[in-house]
Amino acid sequence: MISIYLQGTSWLHRIPAGLKLLAVAIASLILFQVKSPWVFLACLVVVAVCYASLGRQGVAQLKLLRGLSYFLGILLLFHWVSGTFLEGVSVILRLLVLVLAANLVSVTTRLDDMLDAVMPLFMPLEWIGLSARKPALGVALVLRFAPYMMQIFSRLREAYQARAGSTNSWKLLPPLAIQCLRMSDNVADALRARGGSEGLPR
Amino acid sequence: MAFWLTKNRQEQARVCDPEANPFAVFEGAGLEIGNRRILSDLTLSLKEDRIGVIGLNGSGKSTFVRMLNGLRLPDHGSLRLFGAEAEKAAPELPRHVGFVFQNPDHQAIFPTVEEEIAFGLTQLGADKRESRERALVFLQAHGCEALAASPIAELSEGQKQLVCILSVLVMEPRLLVLDEPMTSLDALASRRIRDKILSLPQKIVMVSHDLGHFEGFDRILWLEEGRLRMDGSPFEVLRAFEADISRRSGVKLELAAL
Repeated sequence: MISIYLQGTSWLHRIPAGLKLLAVAIASLILFQVKSPWVFLACLVVVAVCYASLGRQGVAQLKLLRGLSYFLGILLLFHWVSGTFLEGVSVILRLLVLVLAANLVSVTTRLDDMLDAVMPLFMPLEWIGLSARKPALGVALVLRFAPYMMQIFSRLREAYQARAGSTNSWKLLPPLAIQCLRMSDNVADALRARGGSEGLPR
Repeated sequence: MAFWLTKNRQEQARVCDPEANPFAVFEGAGLEIGNRRILSDLTLSLKEDRIGVIGLNGSGKSTFVRMLNGLRLPDHGSLRLFGAEAEKAAPELPRHVGFVFQNPDHQAIFPTVEEEIAFGLTQLGADKRESRERALVFLQAHGCEALAASPIAELSEGQKQLVCILSVLVMEPRLLVLDEPMTSLDALASRRIRDKILSLPQKIVMVSHDLGHFEGFDRILWLEEGRLRMDGSPFEVLRAFEADISRRSGVKLELAAL
């Protein structure tokens, strides 16, 4: 569900990160009080227009719906079986609006702006001697290396397939773990080479 | 748990002298990891502008260059870096020694180029806004402003390596250590990166398997099984190294010796 940042200078990119996060938070508080599907449909149109305003790249982001649709479909099925179909429609529309809105924020906000906006939430950690900078660094590392680990996995799978003929074996997990550990060793060295997670002594 | 704790950032007296030349002095230095001797009896001092390091795989090249920025410390003998004892100098070394690793995918820490460059500046104490602005100016100065907002994962291998080099250069080190920086690059990118490296004002220590990369270098160190086998001008050392390779590969091919 983690979408990659879209380069750009649209109106959505220019709104401060904190404001966007706050808007999504308030919208979700309000939408959880609403029951009428018509309100949700109207919100859906607004969100869709926002995506469209980002141009073709923005519209392409809606492919997110493909993965989401199975989940929402199952949810609707449950509601239908339990005889609350209309309520189900509202639940699904609400989720749809919120997920799309949250995704809109993440594709139009640079990671470090986002971290700056949420950093104050980590400040209490500093009072008890824990670092507020490290969770932020951790988030950056996850976003940077998750795609790379997928790449390692697909390389392993190719190598396995080339000799075994089949794909997707649990046997790939140990080598994947080893390669990821080796990678994290190297990344740790690289981080230390530039002064470590705390920054250099003044 | 230790990872989450903040270090007390006390005012520490600087121990390194960035002007020190020779910048590294090894005296009988060696290192054992597990039960394996990685490096032994190294006695040499480094002061030249362009120093190359050669040797077969497992000869200790990577460990040797990691000693230059304190990532590895000797457990035998002594090592002085920028005028200070290596262990005391280590916390300060990222300021003076930039390190470029073999695999750019294991070096770049941030999702986008600009963040990656700005990180070095925040490490040195600049605040976020200032370091972002300076990162952009720096990228411009190196003709890379077009890459600023690009995700690192989407760059070509050559671009990735260039970004890794820039991300340490922005910290304005005295010495740049490069561990096989051209290994993952195609011929054109490799030439460009090499030219970039040679154009820098920094002192350079570079490991490479491609002997052609050492054109214009002042001194070559040849490591073998953790020892300094030969040390001298590129002309003599590279010739002796190649002669040794030909001699050894000519002796009845034994796969087990690979």
